[in-house]
Amino acid sequence: MTSATTAVPAAAATVQTTERTSRLTKGVRLTLFYLLLLIIALVFILPYLMSVFAAFKPLAAILSQSPLRPPAPLTLDNFKTIFTQYDFGRYLANTLLVTVILTAGQVTFSMMGAYAFARMEFPGRDSLFWLYLMTLMVPNIVTLVPLYVMFAHSHLLNTYWAIFLPYVLGVPYSVFLMRQYFMTIPKEVMEAARLDGCSEGRILWRIIVPISRPIIITATLLAFVFGWNNFMWPLIVTNSNSLNVLTVGIANFNSNFSVQWNLILAGALVALIPMVILFAIFQKHIVNSISLTGINR
Amino acid sequence: MSAPRPGPARRSAPRRAGFAARIMIIGAVLTLLTGCAGWGLSSSGGGSTVTLTYALWDPHEQVGYQQSIDEFEKLHPNIKVDIENIPYGNYEQKMIAEFITGGAPDLFWVNTPWLATFIKDGMLTNLTPLIKASHITMSQYYPQLVALHSRGSAIYGLPKDWDTIALYYNKAYFAKLHLAVPANLSWNTDGTGSFVTFLKEATTDTSGHNALSPRFNPNKIATYAIAIDNDPQGGWGDYVAEAGGSVLPYPDAPRTSLTTPQVNQGITFLTKYLTGDHVMVPGDLSGPNANGANLEQMFAQGQVAMWEQGDWNTLTVKTSTTFPVGVTTLPIGPDGRVSVFNGLIDGLNSHTRYPKQAWELEQWLGSPASEAIMGSGGYVWPAIKSLDPLFLRYWQKQGIDMQAFLTEAQGKVINFPNSPGVGDALTDIDNDLGPAFLGTEPVSQALKAAQTDADYVLRTS
Amino acid sequence: MSVAAAATTMVPRQEHVETASKADRHRIRTAFAFLAPSLLGVILFLVIPIIFVIGLSLVQWNMLTPMKWVGLSNYVNIFEFDGFGHSLVVTAYYVILNIPIQTAFALGMAMLLRSKRAGTGVIRIIAVLPFLSTPVAMGVVWNWVFNPSTGLVNQFLAHLGIAGPAWLSNEATAMPVIAFANIWQYAGYNMLFFLAGLAAIPPTVYEAAALDGATKAQQFWRVTMPLLRPTMLFVLVTGVIGSFQVFDTVYVMTAGGPGNATEVASLNIYNTAFAGFRIGEASAMSVVLFLVILAITVVQFRYFNKRMTYEIA
Repeated sequence: MTSATTAVPAAAATVQTTERTSRLTKGVRLTLFYLLLLIIALVFILPYLMSVFAAFKPLAAILSQSPLRPPAPLTLDNFKTIFTQYDFGRYLANTLLVTVILTAGQVTFSMMGAYAFARMEFPGRDSLFWLYLMTLMVPNIVTLVPLYVMFAHSHLLNTYWAIFLPYVLGVPYSVFLMRQYFMTIPKEVMEAARLDGCSEGRILWRIIVPISRPIIITATLLAFVFGWNNFMWPLIVTNSNSLNVLTVGIANFNSNFSVQWNLILAGALVALIPMVILFAIFQKHIVNSISLTGINR
Repeated sequence: MSAPRPGPARRSAPRRAGFAARIMIIGAVLTLLTGCAGWGLSSSGGGSTVTLTYALWDPHEQVGYQQSIDEFEKLHPNIKVDIENIPYGNYEQKMIAEFITGGAPDLFWVNTPWLATFIKDGMLTNLTPLIKASHITMSQYYPQLVALHSRGSAIYGLPKDWDTIALYYNKAYFAKLHLAVPANLSWNTDGTGSFVTFLKEATTDTSGHNALSPRFNPNKIATYAIAIDNDPQGGWGDYVAEAGGSVLPYPDAPRTSLTTPQVNQGITFLTKYLTGDHVMVPGDLSGPNANGANLEQMFAQGQVAMWEQGDWNTLTVKTSTTFPVGVTTLPIGPDGRVSVFNGLIDGLNSHTRYPKQAWELEQWLGSPASEAIMGSGGYVWPAIKSLDPLFLRYWQKQGIDMQAFLTEAQGKVINFPNSPGVGDALTDIDNDLGPAFLGTEPVSQALKAAQTDADYVLRTS
Repeated sequence: MSVAAAATTMVPRQEHVETASKADRHRIRTAFAFLAPSLLGVILFLVIPIIFVIGLSLVQWNMLTPMKWVGLSNYVNIFEFDGFGHSLVVTAYYVILNIPIQTAFALGMAMLLRSKRAGTGVIRIIAVLPFLSTPVAMGVVWNWVFNPSTGLVNQFLAHLGIAGPAWLSNEATAMPVIAFANIWQYAGYNMLFFLAGLAAIPPTVYEAAALDGATKAQQFWRVTMPLLRPTMLFVLVTGVIGSFQVFDTVYVMTAGGPGNATEVASLNIYNTAFAGFRIGEASAMSVVLFLVILAITVVQFRYFNKRMTYEIA
């Protein structure tokens, strides 16, 4: 009996010490965890932060101060200069124009194609879909040179048309994305609508689209971001500065005025900030879009 | 049950057509509107005034050309000229790209690296009939320039300027050394001659000994006597020519003549003797691939006494140095004193929308009136021989005697290499010769590689 | 059945067949109407160019003078004279620097950030933010960050007493910096795929492993990694295909320099086609690049298919 009574307090003591040590290691692990989180946050935010700071500083301040120091007197001169002297306003307008057209066309026409593949019956459906899938395997760069020659031959080079035409009629990736999603919509929904006498167009527009908002937003986002960030194709297909999109404008500016950091970073921000805003608004969709691609199926 | 229900079938067809058509019509209208906006070209066509575009790359010469064009516009009230500055780095590519898209300028500078390419690709107008009709005397220009820009009886531009290569030198440095810069130094392919001796006198180490002294420390050189870069025009090109060799066997050749003994001797003189004797800035200090990128700064800082370069660098030399600058002629080689000679033309776009007006501008820019403006403003040597004194006088007032360039131009010259694709071929040659200047490869091996690569480019251009 | 009765029963069936085929044809027409724009796009801007580029690779052409048939000699010349072999090696070097590290970071961040602790949600979002950023614009930012005198990196190193190198002009460091730019941009996005993959693993599998006495490390290598193979395959394949085509960042940060140390395949193709206007050689390069990417993708699929022995139901 005495051994039992002495054994229990001893056991309780060891349990207490293990609890205390594990709480200590737990505390250390927690600190490490949040330290890592902080480092990750810094790595991803600092470049944006520093660019924003620099865009509002005069060149002398950028060259003399630490990049981490916020602009003390904030100056808008850099933005004023690039918009008035260096045509960035025009580049921005061009980019918006071609990107909006590209996005509107791409999403609409991809959606139509996706619906056809998903829920319409027609001969050759599977082989055509395979064709779409196979073209996904072809890297962009492979088609650049022949497309350039084709556009040159059609006298379409150095026009707005040239910038968005290869992408505006719908692309296989968008079609694939939306088709996968449409296939999860029960067939009965469309059968019922057809029996009611709805045309396919009506079905798509009035029924499918409203319930497919997530995937449509994803596809729109992807198209818009692609168009906005596109560089190599606009670079080779336009000559006149008046047709430049932001990416080409920034690259040209960089090769001609490489040390005017204040202006270059201001120009870079003109391209980056809209994407940051877009991300902030749609980040939930972006994260959810991963599951919509269904790669784990 | 018997007949198909007409209602829904008929209703759905227009509906479907309506929906899809609506989208396509909106899309088409949008793209049409914006597409049309992109089709506008720079030249205006309103009324009787015509606007020509004129492309160039040198921002300093642009000032002179603007003055000349102001005069032109006074004489031709119905013609306006927009000058477009395209940086030299991608000038050739941009011009070809603009030709492919049909939007090239009406007049544009043409430099010899791509002169033959532009002619072969049909981008330039043959001016012979126009010259005959306007009774322009071609003998007023340097004959080498006329030959450079002719192909048989066709000529593709009115010569408007020339340039050649000589030695800028630091007058203060030579005064300090009590060393006069002789006019007629000579060199031999075995490394002997008055030129090398003079260069040794002009090279000083940090203790003040020159390269002739037994106490000279080649590891502690304060000032090199001369800087010659890895370049077919302002560098080795002149020594190869003076040894009797050339990059191309003849104009428009589809291959190079780099593996001849004369070319080898010319390059070896620089890499083995001048570099070996420590009188020439070594390749690794001169710039990437010995391309001379650092030499301007070295000359301005007094680390090299004589800088071999083309006369288009005069303004840079004037503004970056704090000491008086002189110019002397190249030394005399086994084949005499030969300098690489070049000149630009204003190419007349073969697809210009305004051939009459473009010819007016071309005529003006090649005329004594315009070339006098460019010469007397010190922008460039005029291609009209009688106007050269204007340029000379301008720089004499600035304190630099440019006579050496003129002496060479009136002496023996070799034209800049001229063949379709030669610009790219020369880039390959410079890349392949780099190791020879850096001392990491024998000259014959480097020349062989250069010839193989350059021949491929010339063959396929 | 009387003949009359048979006749009456037959007629409706025939009409049924007629209406069925009419409706069929209408349905097919509608389907093709829906398909038409994207199909036109695929044929015009994907299929035809692929066929066309093969044809272009067999000629010598500069777009201003007539084409000249040269057969397969372009395929030899791009390796002998245009340095395309070197470009492929440089690109492969870039992929090797980029993809393993990026995948490891993506997986690591996913493991770290899948916990439900406070703050992980925000960090998850921050890590994904870069993937939308315009590569050209970010390239310019990195030019500044890695600038030898005014950039943050060298200034920070100076505080530590280290003289930082000229990152983008130094052969040894130029490509790693470009790889870093790409890792920074896409690690977070790929992390999302790993998060989804990790979430698909039921906790019961870990519980069973723990009961069997597996350590955390063993659980990771023997349970997590195999079950993540589909995700891993996706991330690696898309990453490799994308990396082989890198252009924007290189163009803006090094333009292929120093020398040609960072002249990746797509930059060589661009220079050959649009600076040199050698359409035939550039087309041959494009075809070769395509075949290389295809071969590597096939190898990756084979490798993973052999090893994907089990999946979660």
